[in-house]
Amino acid sequence: MVQQTLNSSWQNVLTKVTAWARINSPWAIHFNSGSCNGCDIQILATLTPRYDVERFGIKLQGSPRHADVLICTGPVTMQARDALLRTYEQMPEPKFVIAVGSCGLSGGVFHGCYNIVGGINELLPVDVFVPGCPPRPEGIIYGVAVLLEALKAGKRPEPIQWSGGGLDGVLHSGSGLEDHHG
Amino acid sequence: MNLSLPPILVLLVFPGGLFLIASGLIYQWADRKLVARFQNRIGPRFIQPLADTLKLLAKEEITPVGVHKGLFFALPVIALAAALTAGLYVPLSGFRPAASFRGDLIIALYALSVLTLTMGLAGANTISRFSLVGATRTLTQLFSYEAPFLLSLLGPAIAAGTWQISEINTYAGQNLWLIIAQPIGFLVALIGLMGKLELPPFDAPEAETEIVAGAMTEYSGRGFALFRLGKDVELIIGLTLVSAFYLGGLGNPLEFVLKTLALLLVLALLQTAFARLRIDQTVGLWWRAGALLAVVQLIAIVLGRNLGTIF
Repeated sequence: MVQQTLNSSWQNVLTKVTAWARINSPWAIHFNSGSCNGCDIQILATLTPRYDVERFGIKLQGSPRHADVLICTGPVTMQARDALLRTYEQMPEPKFVIAVGSCGLSGGVFHGCYNIVGGINELLPVDVFVPGCPPRPEGIIYGVAVLLEALKAGKRPEPIQWSGGGLDGVLHSGSGLEDHHG
Repeated sequence: MNLSLPPILVLLVFPGGLFLIASGLIYQWADRKLVARFQNRIGPRFIQPLADTLKLLAKEEITPVGVHKGLFFALPVIALAAALTAGLYVPLSGFRPAASFRGDLIIALYALSVLTLTMGLAGANTISRFSLVGATRTLTQLFSYEAPFLLSLLGPAIAAGTWQISEINTYAGQNLWLIIAQPIGFLVALIGLMGKLELPPFDAPEAETEIVAGAMTEYSGRGFALFRLGKDVELIIGLTLVSAFYLGGLGNPLEFVLKTLALLLVLALLQTAFARLRIDQTVGLWWRAGALLAVVQLIAIVLGRNLGTIF
């Protein structure tokens, strides 16, 4: 972040320019922490020419060092836990996390399994949840749009509090998207 | 066309510095947009490269464990500086080069090679295995395309009888377009430019499906932004060189825009049409076909000149 050494009007301009650049160029990295691949296929579909997310400046990056947004799918398994944390730690600030799919929200059908840590937000501060099993590409794009809208207003998206109590709580806590259960 | 500006403006605004960086960003957008249209997509917005660069400049820069800190911070600066230096010797936007002397063709080409060399060093500087593989591939590719590319640019130089870029440019403008006189040389120069820029058929050094991001894997924030800017500047200088030599010289800004964009269109089409070559295939292609073709072209030029004087 910029240090507070400039006078305030220049500081404001700088903040505005960096915020504008950040909103217009969200580079993503995709991490599968134990998903059944349903959500991953949907994320790949989002990146195809049909939806063409390069229109919004979204680019899939291979290296966590180049990415701004971590798109996570699946419940966090005990095996994938460390890899997920390392990937997140390798990303430079400012960084954001989007959890995609029912399993990423809470563990989904794997909720309570012996080899599952839980949803993504058990480990990382999730900014946007995209519910669905799997969510449609439009839903994933909408999730990114929600994140960018919140950034435009100069804040992180409101974290969604989930007080537990089964899957129903998760399904109602989404971002207003129609849930797409097969 | 001639243009005399105070040296400080030449270095910082036109044709060095700001102009070069801005036009590099615009040409990056044009390239991405053309590729997107060829792939039946809509493509990025006009401001996209600027937003990418500013965002990267504002991001946190992580220094990975195990790197030489001085090199880690100096290499991106050297890369961009080398690319900008090469810009002083080429006829950007159709004006006479800002600096010019006998043999500046070699200087311009090697300033561009310094950019690739720094990327190789940057990859070798870290302990990440992806960076190391990327660095090896970057340098291997450098050794494979560099000789044929240089040979293909020597063709016009020999035809013009000088190694000074501005004089070759004038010669190309006054004679038959060299793309017709030396078609093989043009082909090698065009493919050599794609190898130099690591564009898709030759993007094994940064193959994101195999080695994450190649030599750039560990760079975040400012360093990565500077390397990307260097690449953009290299793109515009490469386009300027090839179109000045082979497409009938660059006499004015309009000619410059039309000819470089026409060349970019061909480059984008080739990028879309071909899949990535393995690094050994790249080397094989260059040394078996590229170098051979360039040598054949050179022999043809030398024979043509000597036979012309005999008869």
